[in-house]
Parts: sequence; C-alpha cells; structure tokens
Amino acid sequence: MITQNPDLLALITTFQMATVTTVILLLIGTPLAWYLAQMRSRYKVLVEALVALPLVLPPTVLGFYLLLALSPQYLPGKIWQDVTGQQLAFSFTAIIIGSVLYSLPFVVQPLQKAFEQLGNDVLEAGKMLGAGPIDRFFHIVLPITKASFITAASLGFAHTVGEFGVVLMIGGNIPGETRVLSIALFDHVEAFNYAKAHALALSLLIGSMILLALIYLLNYQRPVDRS
Amino acid sequence: MSHLDINISISYDSFTLAIKQQLPMKGITGIFGHSGSGKSTLLKSIAGLTKNVQGSIICQDHTLFNSDAKLFIKAEHRNIGLVFQDSRLFPHLTVNDNLLFAVKRCKNPQLTIKDIIELTDLTALINKKVTQLSGGEQQRVALARAILAEPALLLLDEPLSALDKQNKSMMLCLLSKIQKTLNIPMLYVSHSLAELQQVADNLLVLKSGDISHFGNIHQIIHQLNNNDTIHQQTSLSLPIKQHLVDYGLTSLRLNDQQEIYLPLIAQQANNKRITNSTISDENHVLRCFVFASDISITKHEHSGSSIVNHLAAKISNITAQQRNTLITVFCQQQVFYVQISLWSTKRLALKVDDDIYIQFKASAVHTLNNEGS
Repeated sequence: MITQNPDLLALITTFQMATVTTVILLLIGTPLAWYLAQMRSRYKVLVEALVALPLVLPPTVLGFYLLLALSPQYLPGKIWQDVTGQQLAFSFTAIIIGSVLYSLPFVVQPLQKAFEQLGNDVLEAGKMLGAGPIDRFFHIVLPITKASFITAASLGFAHTVGEFGVVLMIGGNIPGETRVLSIALFDHVEAFNYAKAHALALSLLIGSMILLALIYLLNYQRPVDRS
Repeated sequence: MSHLDINISISYDSFTLAIKQQLPMKGITGIFGHSGSGKSTLLKSIAGLTKNVQGSIICQDHTLFNSDAKLFIKAEHRNIGLVFQDSRLFPHLTVNDNLLFAVKRCKNPQLTIKDIIELTDLTALINKKVTQLSGGEQQRVALARAILAEPALLLLDEPLSALDKQNKSMMLCLLSKIQKTLNIPMLYVSHSLAELQQVADNLLVLKSGDISHFGNIHQIIHQLNNNDTIHQQTSLSLPIKQHLVDYGLTSLRLNDQQEIYLPLIAQQANNKRITNSTISDENHVLRCFVFASDISITKHEHSGSSIVNHLAAKISNITAQQRNTLITVFCQQQVFYVQISLWSTKRLALKVDDDIYIQFKASAVHTLNNEGS
C-alpha cells in the first residue's frame, strides 16, 4: 500500500501541496503582476518589495509570523476556526497559505517582467479591433507571454516542492497532512538513516534538475521574437 | 452628409490641444502638423485610447465621448479602426490569423476576407508568420486587418513613415484604391505633406495644439505657401492625357490648350501593361506637385528650350519674402506659385497682370506614383 509508505505519502502530500499552490499562485499572481506592470504610482516599489520579501527573508521568520496569524489566538486563525470548526495552524490549508506567500515572487516577477515587455501596443491594436479585456487577455496576452507563464508556474511548483522552513513552522510534521518530502528528508537525517535520506535527496535533486531543464528547453523553443 | 464633430481639449505638461471642428465622414481627410502639434493625440482621443480629455466627440450622431455627461465609450466599442505607424500585428499569429482576429470580432460582416486579401495583394503572404514580413508587407497586413473590422471610420497614424519610397508609393495607391472601392471615411495623420497631397481630399493643419487651416487639400496647401512651414509648391490634381512611353513621359491635361509633362508614371491607375508607345489614359486623375523654387519665369515664349513645360500665364500677385518673391500666376484657371529672387523680379520688372511664361522641367513635377520607377 502506497499510503503505508511514509516517504511515498510525503511525496503525494508534496505533489498535492505544490499543485494546489501553483494553481493559486497563477490565479493570484497574474492579476498582481499585471497591476504592478501597469502601476505608475511611487508606491509601486513598496508593493514590489513586499512581494519580493520571501526572497531575502529567512523562511522561519515568515513561518513564525504565519504561525501566530493562523493560530486561534489571532484574528485570521480565529475566524477560520469559527467558520470551519477546525484549527488552521498545522493543517494542509496552513501549508498552502505559507507556500503561496513564500513562492509568490517566483510567479509574480517573471509575469510582471513579461507584461512590462509586452507593453500596451498590441493591446491597443486589439482594442481597435473590438477585443474586450478578457478577450485581449486570452487571445493576445496569454499566447504572447506563454513562455513566461510556463516559467512562472514551473518555478512556483519547484520552489514549493523544495520548501522546508515555512512548512515546518506552520505545518509541523503530520503524515498525510503536512509531512512533505523536505521534512521527511530531515527526519531521516535526524535518525541517521542516511540511505533513505540519500534516496529522497537524490530524487529531489534529479526531479528539480529535470524540471528546470524543461523550463529552459520550453523557453528555448519559444523565444520572444522582437524583429 | 454625416460628420465627425470634435470639440475637445487635452492638457498635459505645458501643452494644450484645443480642437473644435466638424470633419466630413467622407473621403480621406489629412491631418498635417509638425512634431508636437497634437496630431497623434487628436487621433488617440477619437479612437478612445486616451481618457485625459475634456469635451465631446460625436460620430454620425453617436456620442463617443462627453466629459460633461461622464460618457466614455471604450475603444473596443467605438467601431473605429486605427492603423498604427508600427503596424502592431500580433506576433504569435500568421498573416491569415491576424486577419481572422478582426473578422471574428466584426459585428456585422459585409466584406469577405478573400476579397480584402486580393485587394491588398496578400495572397502570397497569407500563411507566413508576421515576423517574417518586410515593413511594407506588415503595413499592408495591418491595413487589411483594420478594414476587415469594418469600421465606420478608419484612422491612420503616420502609417507610411517607416517605409521606403517604393513601399510608400505602393501603399498610397492602395489606400486610394481601398477608399474608392469600400468608401470608408479615413482620417490620415502625417507630417509629410507630400503623402497627404497624394491621397487626401481635405486637409486639417494643426499648429501647437490649434487648428490653423482646414479645407480642400489643394487650397490649404496653397494657403500654407504664405507661411514658412512648408516648401512652397503648387498642388495639382489633373487628368492624365497620355503616356509617351518611348520618351519616358506622361502628359497631364491642364486645360484645353495646355498640358504639362512629367516622368512616365510607373504604376498606371488602371494597371494596364504598357504595350504601345503612346497610351491614352484620359479617365484617370493624377495628384502631383511642383515646388515654387523649381519654376522660372520668362517674359517671352521660348521655342528653342529643352524644358518641356513652358506655359503662358498671367501674374496675379507678387509677395516679397526676404531675398525672394513668391509670385502667384494663373494659366487660365490653374494657379501656379513661383519663387524667384528679388533681384530677378526687379530685373524683369515684373508686376501684377503682366503676361509671362512659366517653365519647369518634367522632373520638377513630383508624384509619389512614380517613386518606384
């Protein structure tokens, strides 16, 4: 049974977490990146700094404040508990929230750059041909910036898979719920079970390498033609 | 006749564009002005691509914009087409897909894509990626795409400024043909008076955000001769009399007695292949212009001159301009503008109502129709 193998269970949890996180990141990150690309206000740098914060902040700092926020003593955690009847901290939902915040810059930044490079010219051309905002997004923006969406989604997914500090702080180590590959690996190392640790580490290494190679390959096949 | 009523003002930095004008929704109206005169801003306001506008724009009784009523019809709902200077084709689509983009969003399609592809001569390019096209080809696709959206008004924002002379000539012929075939009213913005002279019926001149002139293209160009803003010229629209193929000349009928010659036009209006040495082409009118500085005056008829255009005329006005004089003459009903030196004016003792002869070489008659020859 797959579910009886704790490492495979961690793999499934990791995959679920990364998939859900990536979908949410694309849903949140796309409008945020668009807003930042169009933003002309001086406060743009503040929003950009806020989005980029997880790049420089130790994951444990973010994890610590999230742990406080998601606990029943504070408003977000309390509201969640009142509505669902369950604690938010140390749940799958908690690690999704943490992952989304932690991987946000990996999705927003490539998309923002792509939208900035796209500019308004082709969008104005679309407007003059009768295309509304949603039509323009799906038939002009998305196809032209497809490579950046692939990059953003892949980076968001890969970064979520490799998460450790945030997940440990707000998710703990609950098998089938919050125990992901990086935490399983840490467990094996702590228990001096280097063979299992090696298997997990190597598979993460190879998996990440394959994913990154695929990103570069996809971007290589679809270069942005500016001629 | 329906109109485009513009009553707008736009201010940014230290520049203010203030336009109050009724433009005909018929033929091609040229909008001329130097850089920073507000041409493109005006076009963007009509298109709905700028919101920082006060006033109103009414197109054929439909209010597109009224700042008092807080009404702003979005660009995509105005049914106005715009051909940009830089074509702005969708790089991820082929030529055909770019055209289909317009067709799919056209609310009441009357034109067929096949007809427009033929009209704009795009058949050979239809499956190509737009990034593989030359500048001239890209503009032809942009024009075809704009037409296929079937706009009530087509705006052209310096559409030929990035093209070489040969492509400009081809595009100008195409624009004229499209306008005549499909009868789409057009507003054509350019800083090139030569381009506008070739295709526009009316001319609106902008100067520092204000309208300085508006009216018939030839009349306005002649009015501009009294300013320092243009190279002084005579703007002509004359019927083609014949093509003298063996001599490399085309003759235009000036009046019953007079004709003028210019280098053989390369692209004949009816696309006939030249097979005879002399071809009559009376049904077509050619736009051309002669710079005032290329015309000279003589008091006597010369029979032994190599200059082919030698026309009897009468002086109607003499205006001194620094070291030169601008002399207005009439060859029967046709006005010509001549610029000669003040010294020559005195030497010849020229005065109003004098009968004189004007002369200019065939090569002094310019038309963008033969730029590709």
